[in-house]
Amino acid sequence: MKRNSIFFFLIFALLAFISFAFQVKEGESLFLKPSNFPEPVYDFTKNPLTTEGVALGKVLFYDALLSKDNTVSCGSCHQQTAGFTQHGHVLSHGINDALTKRNSMPLANLAWFKDFGWDGGVHHLDLFAVSPLTNPAEMDENLPNILEKLRKTNTYPVLFQKAFGSEEINSERFLKALSQFMLTMVSANSKYDKAMRNEGVVLSESEEQGEAIFKQKCASCHSGVLFTDLKFHNNGLSPASKADLGRYDVTLLEEDRLAFKTPSLRNLDATAPYMHDGRFGTLEEVLEHYDAGIENNATLDPSLKQNNRIGIPLSMDEKTKLLAFLKTLNDDDFLRNDRYAEVSQAKDPEADKYKDVDWEKVDLQTNSPTIKASFKKAWILYTEIKNALIAENGDKASAAIESLFPIFNDIDKTAMTSMQRVFFQNVFNDLSFEMEHIADTKDYKHQRDHFGDFSKHLFRLIKAFKTHDKPLYYFHCPNAMFKRGGYWISDTEIDKNPFFKNDKDCGKIKMVLLP
Amino acid sequence: MKNILILLVSFSYLMLNAQSSGTLTLQFDNMVGNEDMVLNTKNYKNAMGEDFNISLFQYYVSNIRLMKSDGSEYAVPQNESYFLIREQDPKSQTVTLNNVPKGKYTGIRFVIGIDSLRNTADISQRKGCLDVGGEAKDMYWAWNSGYIFVKMEGTSPVIELNADRKKPIFMYHIGLFGGMGDKKTLNNIKETKLSFGSKKLKVKDNTTHYMVIKTDASHILNGSTNISIAKNPSIMAGPFSAKIADNYNVMFSFGGFAKSLNTISETKTAMK
Repeated sequence: MKRNSIFFFLIFALLAFISFAFQVKEGESLFLKPSNFPEPVYDFTKNPLTTEGVALGKVLFYDALLSKDNTVSCGSCHQQTAGFTQHGHVLSHGINDALTKRNSMPLANLAWFKDFGWDGGVHHLDLFAVSPLTNPAEMDENLPNILEKLRKTNTYPVLFQKAFGSEEINSERFLKALSQFMLTMVSANSKYDKAMRNEGVVLSESEEQGEAIFKQKCASCHSGVLFTDLKFHNNGLSPASKADLGRYDVTLLEEDRLAFKTPSLRNLDATAPYMHDGRFGTLEEVLEHYDAGIENNATLDPSLKQNNRIGIPLSMDEKTKLLAFLKTLNDDDFLRNDRYAEVSQAKDPEADKYKDVDWEKVDLQTNSPTIKASFKKAWILYTEIKNALIAENGDKASAAIESLFPIFNDIDKTAMTSMQRVFFQNVFNDLSFEMEHIADTKDYKHQRDHFGDFSKHLFRLIKAFKTHDKPLYYFHCPNAMFKRGGYWISDTEIDKNPFFKNDKDCGKIKMVLLP
Repeated sequence: MKNILILLVSFSYLMLNAQSSGTLTLQFDNMVGNEDMVLNTKNYKNAMGEDFNISLFQYYVSNIRLMKSDGSEYAVPQNESYFLIREQDPKSQTVTLNNVPKGKYTGIRFVIGIDSLRNTADISQRKGCLDVGGEAKDMYWAWNSGYIFVKMEGTSPVIELNADRKKPIFMYHIGLFGGMGDKKTLNNIKETKLSFGSKKLKVKDNTTHYMVIKTDASHILNGSTNISIAKNPSIMAGPFSAKIADNYNVMFSFGGFAKSLNTISETKTAMK
């Protein structure tokens, strides 16, 4: 009898151990600490990651049901391709296009953060989501309502059951699931990381020189492999008219006036515009600010006023090298990884075959009359959208974009070669992202922020397929889109600028596309 | 056989132990000055002579301890020691403490608000009235994580209207627990200590005892700092909140014992 129970106990212990080990292994595959990173801050023992938990978190992250009028999801202001910031927005937009106080912060490597938001007012990742969910300018909903809406669906009780063992939907499970998904967002595959881990990649000479300058002049705040000291500093931005006091509003300490969290510098190319209020559109402007634009006020960080000089002296050459180094922190694996994407894109089975193709160098011309007819319709709508933006008519632009979707969705793919099809799908992924944004709002200013990239991707398609039978002029206006520069296409040599009413001089022909 | 004996002994010990405790029901009676609080319809005047009425009044009471004359105390178990009292919800004004050990108590003390430990606890520790997705939804600051301790809202004709203020509404939301780690904030946690005076609370086995605690909301506005509603129609997480917390620190008073909840409401009706 006694021996039997010991035997059963041992079996039980073994089973428990196996299931524990299995869970640890599963957790590891969902969150693996990169070898060049320190230990994470988040306590995973209190919220162990599971495949089902992460999956639930992802569905929640992208569900607009979480907002008051069911129009805005977390993913609306935290877009993957924009490093989980809001693409093209100085200040983020919430429901009813309400403007928030600040530029949405990138979401990456959150497992290493100990407080959240530009002012660090929230001290735990599990509690962070409550802030955007309830902020009147963001999702404007309250938590009990959200939970009730989720309970009433057919799908969520099942997803909660899978993730947590029963259909109960409560705050703890809801918030922990969101955390689980966000914790998997680890950006650690930039060129810099790969070089650091000796994975066969080395930084170029100018990148290395940039790194040396960076270490000397920037790393006191942008420190470590996260490129932030996770602290709060006043970096000398002249306060806007309705001053945002930043950290002060949380601590009420004089020394925290105008101080904001040091942001990470990973994926900078994707996270423009910069600063808590998105005031700088380009990295050049950011460097210029640190060199010569700093405003000296009472709480300015001491590191920005050394040797009797306000700001950080940077020569042209140093700026160029710094920019080269900062580019090594971009992580395309992270920005394009399907595991974080709203909809896993149906992958063309032949896509891999062409993954090393230089699309500029291959001939993709089409002779299909059905494809040409689609492009002809698309061109008419494009002109309508452009004219609507010139006339500052957001309703018209949005309506024209809506009509454009079916044309591209129904394009005759049977008339394409497999190479053409792969190229089309690649470009259309980018194109539809911009189209959705133009369609989502009736605010022409916001539409303009997406029109430049929309034009760029459409031009790529027209140029590759050679569908246009007249010359096309490809314009570029460097002042557009927060000075990131915006493109537009025209069939005349002289054309009105769709980005600005009164900036006639901005806009030069970059290329003429001959039939 | 021996095992069964031990089991029996320990079981009966547990039973005996369970019996040597009673129940204490606290009735929170919200007042304004000497009058029973009436939401929306009743007009009040503060020490500055400003008229106002109250549309919402609610607060947390936590970490309840019963004191004995020898200095020892009975602390209500931590997880059962959080209560949200809302004027608009009569049920919430009755707080039941089970398993109070038999004995003679001379006073009670509790925290007005939520202690810093629970303010920083992980989400699994926030149930019931602390559930940010439930009862605590309007008693929690999401942007500066922490519970609101005391909340009073209402209207006053003295409030000037402007572009940002379209209705004459005042809002006093007082919280802030001191922060954690690198984040230091104001600490508005207050503790109130009430003596039963000449009376004693004698907790008997299997008996329910009733006690009234009066909460005088006029102390939010009147006290060491007399608050002008016209000048400060909205006080939340700013430095001025400390003045209100200092004021309301004395808003509770011991209102006597009662034989039952009925007798409490009878006394209340008699008072009106």
